[in-house]
Amino acid sequence: MIDNNIEKRIVALQERLIYLKDIFAGKHADDSDLLQDRLASFSRKLRSDEVSDPYTDIASMEDLFSYVESKLDSSVTAMDRVRIVRHPQRICLRDILENVYDTFTEVGGQDEYSLDPSILIARAVITRHRGKKTYHQPVMVIGQEKGHGAEFRNGGSVKPWGNAKAMQFMRVAETEGIPIHCYVCTPGSFPIEDYPGAAQQIARNIYGMAGLRVPIIAIISEGGSGGAEAISLADKRIMLSHGYYSVISPEGAAAIEGHLKEGERASSELIEHCAENLHITAKDNLGFGYIDQIIQEPPLGARPWHFEFFRTLRQEVIRATDEVIISTRALPLLKTLAQNRHARPTANLEHLYIHWGLSAGARSRLVALRQKKFLRLSRSAASDKRPMYNKVMELLSSYITKPWNSFKYDFYRKHQRKIQTFVEEIDNEWETFKYRLLSPWRKFKHGIEKKNNAKGEALMALSEWTKDSRRKKWNYLSPRYKIDKTLTCPNSAEYGCLDLWGPDLFGEFAGVCSYCGYHFPMEPEWYVRNVFDKDSVIEFNSEIEAGNPLSFPNFDERIRKAQEKNGTRSGCMTFEARIAGIKIIVAMFMGTFRGGSVGAAEGCKFVEAAERATKNRYPFLAYVHGTAGMRIQEGTHALIQMPRCTVAVRRYIEAGGLYVVLYDTNSFAGPVASFLGCSPYQFAVRSSNIGFAGPGVIKETTGMDIPPRYHRSTEALARGHIQGIWDRRQIRANLKQALRTIGGRNLYYR
Amino acid sequence: MEKDTVHQDGKTPEALAITDHKVLVANRGEIAMRIMRACHGLGIPFTALYTAEDSASCHCDLARELGGEHCLYRVSSYHDANEIMSVADASECTAVHPGYGFFAEDFRFARRVTKRDRKMIFIGPSWKIIRELGDKINTKRLARSLGVPTVPGSDRPIYDEAEAEHIAKSIFEFQESQGITHPLVLVKASAGGGGMGIEEVYDPDQFRSVYRRIRNYALRQFKDEGVLIEQRIKDFNHLEVQIISDRSGKHPVHFGTRNCSIQSTGRQKRIEVAPGFAPETLDYSFDAAKVLTNIVEYSLTMATKVGYDNVGTWEWIVTRAGEPFLMEVNTRIQVENGVSGCIAHVAGRGSVDLIAEQIRLGLGEEIGYTQAEIATEGVGLEYRIIAEDPANNFIPWVGKIERFHWKDQPWLTMLTHVPTDRPYEIPTEFDPNLALAIIWGKNLEETKERGKIFLDSIVLEGQNASGEALRSNIEFLKTNTDQILHF
Amino acid sequence: MLNISELLESIKESPYRDIVIRTPHTGCLSFPDLAIGAEVHGPSSQWKNKPGTLLATLERERNPKPILAPEKGELVELHTELAGTFVEAQTAVATIRHRLTREEVEHIILQKALFLFRAPERAKYYFTPEMDKKIHATESHSVKVRDGMELLIMSRMKREVHLQYSGPDGVIYAIYFKYNENIDAGAPLIGVCTQEQLPAIQEVIMRIKTEWAGR
Repeated sequence: MIDNNIEKRIVALQERLIYLKDIFAGKHADDSDLLQDRLASFSRKLRSDEVSDPYTDIASMEDLFSYVESKLDSSVTAMDRVRIVRHPQRICLRDILENVYDTFTEVGGQDEYSLDPSILIARAVITRHRGKKTYHQPVMVIGQEKGHGAEFRNGGSVKPWGNAKAMQFMRVAETEGIPIHCYVCTPGSFPIEDYPGAAQQIARNIYGMAGLRVPIIAIISEGGSGGAEAISLADKRIMLSHGYYSVISPEGAAAIEGHLKEGERASSELIEHCAENLHITAKDNLGFGYIDQIIQEPPLGARPWHFEFFRTLRQEVIRATDEVIISTRALPLLKTLAQNRHARPTANLEHLYIHWGLSAGARSRLVALRQKKFLRLSRSAASDKRPMYNKVMELLSSYITKPWNSFKYDFYRKHQRKIQTFVEEIDNEWETFKYRLLSPWRKFKHGIEKKNNAKGEALMALSEWTKDSRRKKWNYLSPRYKIDKTLTCPNSAEYGCLDLWGPDLFGEFAGVCSYCGYHFPMEPEWYVRNVFDKDSVIEFNSEIEAGNPLSFPNFDERIRKAQEKNGTRSGCMTFEARIAGIKIIVAMFMGTFRGGSVGAAEGCKFVEAAERATKNRYPFLAYVHGTAGMRIQEGTHALIQMPRCTVAVRRYIEAGGLYVVLYDTNSFAGPVASFLGCSPYQFAVRSSNIGFAGPGVIKETTGMDIPPRYHRSTEALARGHIQGIWDRRQIRANLKQALRTIGGRNLYYR
Repeated sequence: MEKDTVHQDGKTPEALAITDHKVLVANRGEIAMRIMRACHGLGIPFTALYTAEDSASCHCDLARELGGEHCLYRVSSYHDANEIMSVADASECTAVHPGYGFFAEDFRFARRVTKRDRKMIFIGPSWKIIRELGDKINTKRLARSLGVPTVPGSDRPIYDEAEAEHIAKSIFEFQESQGITHPLVLVKASAGGGGMGIEEVYDPDQFRSVYRRIRNYALRQFKDEGVLIEQRIKDFNHLEVQIISDRSGKHPVHFGTRNCSIQSTGRQKRIEVAPGFAPETLDYSFDAAKVLTNIVEYSLTMATKVGYDNVGTWEWIVTRAGEPFLMEVNTRIQVENGVSGCIAHVAGRGSVDLIAEQIRLGLGEEIGYTQAEIATEGVGLEYRIIAEDPANNFIPWVGKIERFHWKDQPWLTMLTHVPTDRPYEIPTEFDPNLALAIIWGKNLEETKERGKIFLDSIVLEGQNASGEALRSNIEFLKTNTDQILHF
Repeated sequence: MLNISELLESIKESPYRDIVIRTPHTGCLSFPDLAIGAEVHGPSSQWKNKPGTLLATLERERNPKPILAPEKGELVELHTELAGTFVEAQTAVATIRHRLTREEVEHIILQKALFLFRAPERAKYYFTPEMDKKIHATESHSVKVRDGMELLIMSRMKREVHLQYSGPDGVIYAIYFKYNENIDAGAPLIGVCTQEQLPAIQEVIMRIKTEWAGR
């Protein structure tokens, strides 16, 4: 007869063995074989009653397991970590809620009965003591729930409305003034476009979190790209030691690196290789500065029975929350004292109660600190080759322009109305006076005209006309206009478009099918030269270069080729220009530079452009000639641009700026899901595609086939993702109108 | 067949002698037949086109007869420029004749013909001239800059409401001062054309609302809210001046005037007469001879100014007060060129084939005669014979022609692609013209008389799917013959 | 009511349709490695956006255009003798022996069951813009028509005439004309199913489903 307790412990060991085998996927077979043999022979003996002291033996068996696990823990690779966080035995958010918090109430639905079961939202309480007094500190806990492999949880892949729900409750927390704890356990978002749309909702979340006026702590277990960013723009970002944080899943990276077609599978070697080179571990990310702290997990990763780990986690989230609260204190002395007290490792945080509410001033400081924290990130990942002199001049000029602009906009604009009324009134008086004075002369002149009766002649005489805008000549023609060949419009089957002659199409027609209006893609230069006033474009920061911050194999060469092909140093060109005399700052993402992917350099230029627009109080246009997403070969250096650039946008908009986004050709993934998608004014050029993930990725991750025009701008417009669709030839006129009407009288400045 | 990108002897098409050329006839029906005959007469080989819809047309028979079995290619559409280029290359053509309609006034087509890798000659004015004179505003301004009279009103798009109202007011007042009882103002989208976005205003108070409607329509439809405001002239005769010039563009000559005032309700010409007026036989309320001289002079002035380098027609309207106004320039050969040709003599040689002249000059020959050597004799008349119902808004009749014949006469030239020896299903794709009858007489009386003799001799019968008999405009032509050249 | 069994039997006797593939325009032909007797397939996937088998390539003005199989079937003719030559528009390139699908049988039988609104004249037909939008935006079999409704534009002789629907009220069940294609007088334009007829039509479809499915 076997003791029930022993039986349970054997089952537990069997589970540990399965886990060990799973996460190493065939590696370290000798160790797992040994454990398996020993466990098998132990249970055999047990069943045949050959064991005299089962309690001692099972304990030594457990020790052996622990020993092997500890030994193997040092050889856990990046890909092993991916398998760890995705393993059904991995701790999930419910385990954390039960073990880290004292009580909790789920508010985002329950299990299957939830808007989106892959996200879990709970009002939780942490109880702390000071002396004899007990304090209940409420927090809003939000995170993806993988639910130990429960199918309906969808692996923690959140649908657009799930992310919207998360944002809704972040706002609730803001209203209630309680901190937010975000647990990031997602392989990535569910990439569908149904309202509110994967990309657009993530963008809204990031934008919202960039200005949320309560402390946010993010704890990252599985940080899969955009899905992770949707809830991780935090004051403190903590990573679990066995987690990963990456711009893309290693499988996704392998599919791109291996140039796989739909349905093909990447080899496991390539996936391992990508996982390694993407630098996705906690240690890597701490080194880059994208996380603030690592919480050590038990060997081979935390599982629900690691109760000690939950205690550590509780300590660390409390400490992190306290630290954020303390960092907002206005008095430096008190701040330092508190910080020192908390930094002591022996400090018992359960008894060091700190009030988690914040004053209005502290809230503003909190948001400013958070924004600055993100703006500082990744500066070293882009190679900034601007001469020192330029940088100093930039700094100097900002000292001069700032006060001038604040006079011009803050003082003058405020009083402008009064000044204007005064001038107008004076002018009126003068005109009336003049009219009276000259009236005898006018009568005389009128008389002469009547006599001549020159009306008929005037109606047939050549009139004065200087600008003939009808036969508009483009300032720039695509070089393809020189090639004598015809092209077939992709809509020809539907609309009966005849083949178009290249020289007409790429010259006079501006790439637009003259039968159906389909827009063939044009070069970025076409826009630079034809949209803005002639010779008004002045590029800045062209010296900031795209590089290879992760030393991704063979990538230096590929970046160099892209630079040569485009004649630019990065995929983002930033410039100052004018449209009908209105000055504007433009960040242009070029689809011709590695698909228009955004890395550290592009992000850096975008942030600089937004800051320049803020400083000069100009409207800011993001023209997306095309973007395939974040540049995966830069790993989290690229991913971090999502929150970073969004912070820059938010600061610009809150300073009163007009931020307009114009999508062209194909715009997908990270950029749309952050600093582009968060703009209140998004337009698309006709025939463009906008979305989160392409058809291949959707098929791969969701198993769904999507209809052919799923990502077309018209669909995006119908779904409410964008505000309008523009004809390419009308971009200039539409922008002019947008700047005048949306920007209002004072152009863009409120 | 291989595509040949180099011409014989490596010469550019301009450097070839005209008989070394090969002309692609990029048209159908009677005009294709006239071009083929002209080429044949000049000793120039040609290639012709047809579509499956149009395979019963006589222009296919004529092509085979004059050019042999291999000179005819089936294409998907006459409207597809790519088909024309492709066949031209395959058949090694060096020049393209567009005829009228289709690509005749398409400057992009002309530009493509001359600018593509394998360059050819476009038999018509150079593409820049087509573009310049194809733009009505541009033409109007050019005319005004040369003192050529144009319809009173704006000569540039008006964007400002106050200015628009001012112009409209002036036009109303001007007409009143001219004694016009029901003055009308025309408001049209400057970027429009083909009758879209045009409205008449008879009441000055109504102008503003019409103006706004047209402006909004123009903005929606053409992305340009400019409008033109002109006098609407109702009582006028439609005259035109035939101009022809060689590639130098320096010595344009004219082949007189034509009167095309007898039209369908949809403003489609039905009878054309050369010359434009008959001051010797008929009474006019104005000096008709002077009007004819003036419009010819004005047309030549403009042609010289732009360096016009092929055939073209200056279209005029002449009011009852005898004022001519330039309407537009047609930068192509016109349907009715034959009436001018039939009354013309060059250096004593009778009747001129203007299409042959067009081809000859288009391919680079010099004109070889002066205005002084061109003389005219008699009156020419052209009937456009069409299956349509003049009583019912000229609706085209569709169906099968079963019998079609007429009595040949020495003074009659019948141009038709409709077979007379077999039934013919009228294709629905194209202009409904069935035949052109050109009649010559030594004076107006004789021409009218012969016209009626011809019309009486014609037999045109058939029926449609529901068994209804063919309707034609022959009665309409007959009734209107008495009216010709009267104003 | 029509005799469906009889109709089905007659179709079953020769359940094939020979499709002749012709060049859409002039150009130079080339052929892929394909032999007579080969099995070819038409456009596939749920939205028919995956192209069918490549039968030939037609190059005109340096623009090679694929000529694809429109339907599944056996290749019975392939004019490879034309390879490398310049051909006219509508030159026969290949013939496919296509076995009728259930939908096609449905189509044939429905044409006999539905009310057919026919072309009054040989012309090109288009839906009016409003109708076109409706038909594009909504599911099939849900666009209603009623007598006297402006439905189509008839285009011929460079003139466009609005055409009113005349016939029983119902829903558009089938559309028989294609964009830019000439339709002969008397040929059906649309098939309309009346409300009362709907159950009967659905039954016809069920019958075909069961009787054609096994084959």
